[in-house]
Amino acid sequence: MSAAKIRLLGKLTAAATCAAAWLAISPAALAVPSFARQTGMACEACHTVFPELTHFGRVFKANGYTLTNVKQVRDVTGKKEELLGISQFPPLSIMAQISYTEMKTPVPDLAAVGAPGVAQNGTAGFPQQFSFFYAGKIAPNLGAMFQLTYANDSGTIGIDNSDIRFADELTLPDRGTFTYGLSLNNNPTVQDLWNSTPAWGFPYALSNANVTPLAATAISGPYAQDVAGLTAYVYWNESLYVEAGGYRSAKQGVTNELTGAAGPLDGTASNVLQGLAPYWRIAYEYNWDRHSLEVGAYGLDLKVLPGGSPSAPSPLIGPYNEFDDVAEDLQYQFVGDQHLLSVLATHIHEAQTLNAAFASGAAANPRDTLTTDEVALTYYYRRKIGGTVQYFSTTGTTDAGLYPTTPAGAPGVITSANGSPDTRGWVAELNYLPWLNVKVSAQYTWYSKFNGGGTDYDGVGRNASGNNTLYLLLWFAY
Amino acid sequence: MARLTMWLGGAAVLIACGSAAWADEPDATTRLYAEHLALTVCGICHGTAGNSVQPKFPRLAGQNANYLAAQLKAFRAQSRGDPDAIAYMWGMASQLDDATIDALASYYAAQRAEPSATGTSAQASRGREIYLHGVAPQGVPACSSCHGPDAHGLAEFPRLAGQHAQYVLKQLASFQSNMRNVAIMHGVAQNLNLADMDAVAAFLETQP
Repeated sequence: MSAAKIRLLGKLTAAATCAAAWLAISPAALAVPSFARQTGMACEACHTVFPELTHFGRVFKANGYTLTNVKQVRDVTGKKEELLGISQFPPLSIMAQISYTEMKTPVPDLAAVGAPGVAQNGTAGFPQQFSFFYAGKIAPNLGAMFQLTYANDSGTIGIDNSDIRFADELTLPDRGTFTYGLSLNNNPTVQDLWNSTPAWGFPYALSNANVTPLAATAISGPYAQDVAGLTAYVYWNESLYVEAGGYRSAKQGVTNELTGAAGPLDGTASNVLQGLAPYWRIAYEYNWDRHSLEVGAYGLDLKVLPGGSPSAPSPLIGPYNEFDDVAEDLQYQFVGDQHLLSVLATHIHEAQTLNAAFASGAAANPRDTLTTDEVALTYYYRRKIGGTVQYFSTTGTTDAGLYPTTPAGAPGVITSANGSPDTRGWVAELNYLPWLNVKVSAQYTWYSKFNGGGTDYDGVGRNASGNNTLYLLLWFAY
Repeated sequence: MARLTMWLGGAAVLIACGSAAWADEPDATTRLYAEHLALTVCGICHGTAGNSVQPKFPRLAGQNANYLAAQLKAFRAQSRGDPDAIAYMWGMASQLDDATIDALASYYAAQRAEPSATGTSAQASRGREIYLHGVAPQGVPACSSCHGPDAHGLAEFPRLAGQHAQYVLKQLASFQSNMRNVAIMHGVAQNLNLADMDAVAAFLETQP
């Protein structure tokens, strides 16, 4: 690796609290046939097409994944209090994503920077991702969606999106229902019931062999599987949903330098949350005929201590960076037997107070903003063939610290010539499902702007459109 | 005419059987359990009082208890084979015992049915004609002879008043194709064309 590249990566690491961490994120995925085995109901009960949830799927999730229609091994007290209720067979599933990625313009080969050499264009992921799930009931009011994933970029198995829930339901005198519960999860919005929030939003699968922009809001995934949250929620008449809770750092593969134990976290860990990061969510869903409309808002306020690494520790004290995200979302669904239509939209505004990054020089400004807008339109015919078109846009304050220019002699690509995070474009995806648990996709991503520019965005000649990506995917779960 | 006579004969036998197999009265514990199930599970699709919003899911309020019990048992036995029954109800009914089925049936039978649509139309008027008088040239008997003049159902024959038109239409198509294998209704539906089915469904949806 060249010295310039090393310097650049060092700078990006320092600024990782703001943006770069999302480069390592695996796309979320939820399509779990063990739920179907547990309920005895076909995928279509809970999904329009996986992983988008129907109203029934949302209620099933809110009720803690506990609805079961299979024989139980049970134990009860003399007063018929349930001591045990487990399925005779555990709710296990597997999922695989096998992919092929090709970019419009190959990226430079780091082994030959400045020379005509480029990296091989066309990456086969076999598998890109392979997951193992425990997804279903644990006890009468306790259930979980627990995912372990092998990913080809890390080459290791690690914890993926997980959500453990306690839930119970009261019936009201007017024959209404009142569900209340707790969710213990590792990714803000993974517990959410709608597909208009980040964790389960479109695109449901993404290449991990292309170039991703520098900027992403904190609630959109940079802290996925890096935090643990406990939230409490109520769901009144399957319409009004209110949730609140908090997240703390829950690092994987990080140890205390002194004791060698899994904790407590010290200055050799990076991007450590200070205290509890509050999360909130409110949503209202109205269903009529074959239509369903949800409008809502959600937010997360993270205070992040930059920390360091084993080779360059930095105490977990002093100034921190704060990412205060407030978002609105909307979801519309038409679920017919022949035609299915969905609109998913969200607007996320992030106020960044970068006391730590500004003091260290990793950010050029003490305060920045970042705004993300996404609107996706999906259509399916008989749940067999369909597609999605999505517009996405991220805009924000120009900050040459967070979105650095290309150092002399470096290859660019993941830099910004003008220090702007602005990125926008479209995703178009075609899907064919020969069976409800098998999806074949062709996805194309167009960038009209990338890291602040349309042409020569990195200052060394790369255009935004050079990062356009063709992504072919075979995705199945069993 | 011969077909009509045969059909009426079959209907009479079914009514007689239905009367003999009238559901038992559930005990209080089972009734409470069934009510909880109806509100928290069945209600997600069918509405807590059985007046479902989505036309994919039938309205159950005011439905004949015997018909409901028979359908739940058919789902449990996996003998009712229309697509939605397979996808949703085979699993849902698989662990229900007879007492709970009877209690669920009683719960829905006791709910107040609300029409799923209002108003009149030329199509609904045509549907009313078919419902009350049949389509003699095609050998289609009057629906009312089994389902009652007010479409509230009789004995084993289901209430149709207020049912979602889309649901009625899908069932008629399922009878016609024998995916839902009911000999009497197959006999009726195989002679109904799509426009007639649409008309009957449109009429029934508006009935109180």
